[in-house]
Amino acid sequence: MLQTVKPKNARSKRALEAREPKLVENEKTTLFLRGTSASGVVQDALGDLHSLKKPQAIKFQKKNAVHPFEDATALEFFSRKNDASLMVFASHSKKRPHNLTFVRFFEYQVLDMVELGLDGETFRKMQDFKNAKAGVGLKPMITFSGAIFENNPTYVQMKLMFLDFFHGNTVSEVDVEALQYTISISAADPTDEEPNPKIHLRCYMLKTVRSGHKLPRVELEEMGPRMDFKIGRIQEASPDMMKEAMKKPKGQEMRTKKNISVDSMGDKIGKVHVDRQDLGKLQTRKMKGLRKRGREESEKEGEGDDDVEMDDDDVEMGDGVPAISPKRARV
Amino acid sequence: MSTEMEVDEPQRLPVTVTKPIPLTYDLGHLTAFDSNPLPPLTPSNLEQTLHSTARDAAQLLINQILTTVPLKSTQDGVYATLPEPITTLPREKPVPKAKELTTWEKFAKKKGIAAKAKDGKMVYDEATGEWVPKWGYKGSNKGGEDDWAVEVDESKQQDVNANPRSLSRAERVERVRKNERQQRKNEKNSAAASSSGSGYKNRRR
Repeated sequence: MLQTVKPKNARSKRALEAREPKLVENEKTTLFLRGTSASGVVQDALGDLHSLKKPQAIKFQKKNAVHPFEDATALEFFSRKNDASLMVFASHSKKRPHNLTFVRFFEYQVLDMVELGLDGETFRKMQDFKNAKAGVGLKPMITFSGAIFENNPTYVQMKLMFLDFFHGNTVSEVDVEALQYTISISAADPTDEEPNPKIHLRCYMLKTVRSGHKLPRVELEEMGPRMDFKIGRIQEASPDMMKEAMKKPKGQEMRTKKNISVDSMGDKIGKVHVDRQDLGKLQTRKMKGLRKRGREESEKEGEGDDDVEMDDDDVEMGDGVPAISPKRARV
Repeated sequence: MSTEMEVDEPQRLPVTVTKPIPLTYDLGHLTAFDSNPLPPLTPSNLEQTLHSTARDAAQLLINQILTTVPLKSTQDGVYATLPEPITTLPREKPVPKAKELTTWEKFAKKKGIAAKAKDGKMVYDEATGEWVPKWGYKGSNKGGEDDWAVEVDESKQQDVNANPRSLSRAERVERVRKNERQQRKNEKNSAAASSSGSGYKNRRR
């Protein structure tokens, strides 16, 4: 535990204030580090993930004698020291080859941990794909494919973890030109031979082609890294801690406008409440015999006939709103 | 969306994708969830299949962004206004707590005393007709500290040997000290309140 110190000058005060809990949070910083033994494959993978996460990422160069699932206090220390709440720990052993441990922190304490075994055979690093890469610090588009991400609780958790890991900053606006790449995370359905299918992580550059339609045709080109993960050990978040972490600050909710909703297709639906129609005021067909006669009207009876014809037309149109001619209103 | 490739011949490329289960979107995170099962993966068709599923999902996501979200074109380019994210993700740090009230603030709240409006550091000195600071160098709170004659107030003179000239200054310094003591006490109280507050840590111990 670091000592809580009182800032001695304005600069350190600002630095400490930047770390304080905020109502609207900043982007999570990711820390990349390796254990005492790490294979070349897993080191390349670590480097590629780091370059995807730049600039909100820190990479350690030295080895760390840490076993996250046995004792994570060292990682908690690093988290506090670097103000990082996401961490990827690379290690390699005979039992768990090419291992990447994804750790999330809440208040500098481990929230949850997932161990993912990287497939060394199918792994391709970014440099293996000779093409242009996405700009640094751009918000990626993320797609999850596979029914298993809806059904299996472990994979649902993985989905949320990957979303938390890759989504970057929450922004209100995005430049359409900056939608440069997509991260596709997919998994096949479980079968009897393979109850826990691998998670396939692919990154593609987006190319839009004029299609002749209003919308562009999207083509993809793989930019790497290409990773296939096997899920290993999982340390789930304690419910109390998760509840605390999922709390939403009061007064931050969007004020919902009444009676306006958006359906799953993205169409805006408005509900309009109309008062019960007053049938007493409904204009029915008028006949000469039923006409109420005001004093004025009876005086200039001779001119009245044309007007009555026009009133008839108004009623026929029948928009539910009774048309009121000036003459009628006077009565 | 990096490159707009020119297509010479007016060919019509398909831009719509039909899936048995429609995708769900979380445009605040620029994310699409495709819950259709993947076609069976074999080592030979793996990359092909993943590429085509990813393309379809990306196409649908782009379509969704370009059709449902308000677009704003500025000099710098076209901006899509994203909605609030639907999927809630855990916070990095807890929601900040409201600052603990000081003893005075509590008292003032109870009694309904409104805080004084801040009217600056300078006050008008009627005697000299000048604006002087309320405190600090040549501050008005030091009135009478360097007068050439000082009236001896028997009630304040507790110690006979105390210098009546320095009494006024001693009184002011004591006020400052008292304020600092009160500040420290308030800080201590607020620190105690914040550490005992949140739930999960206490239950863990």
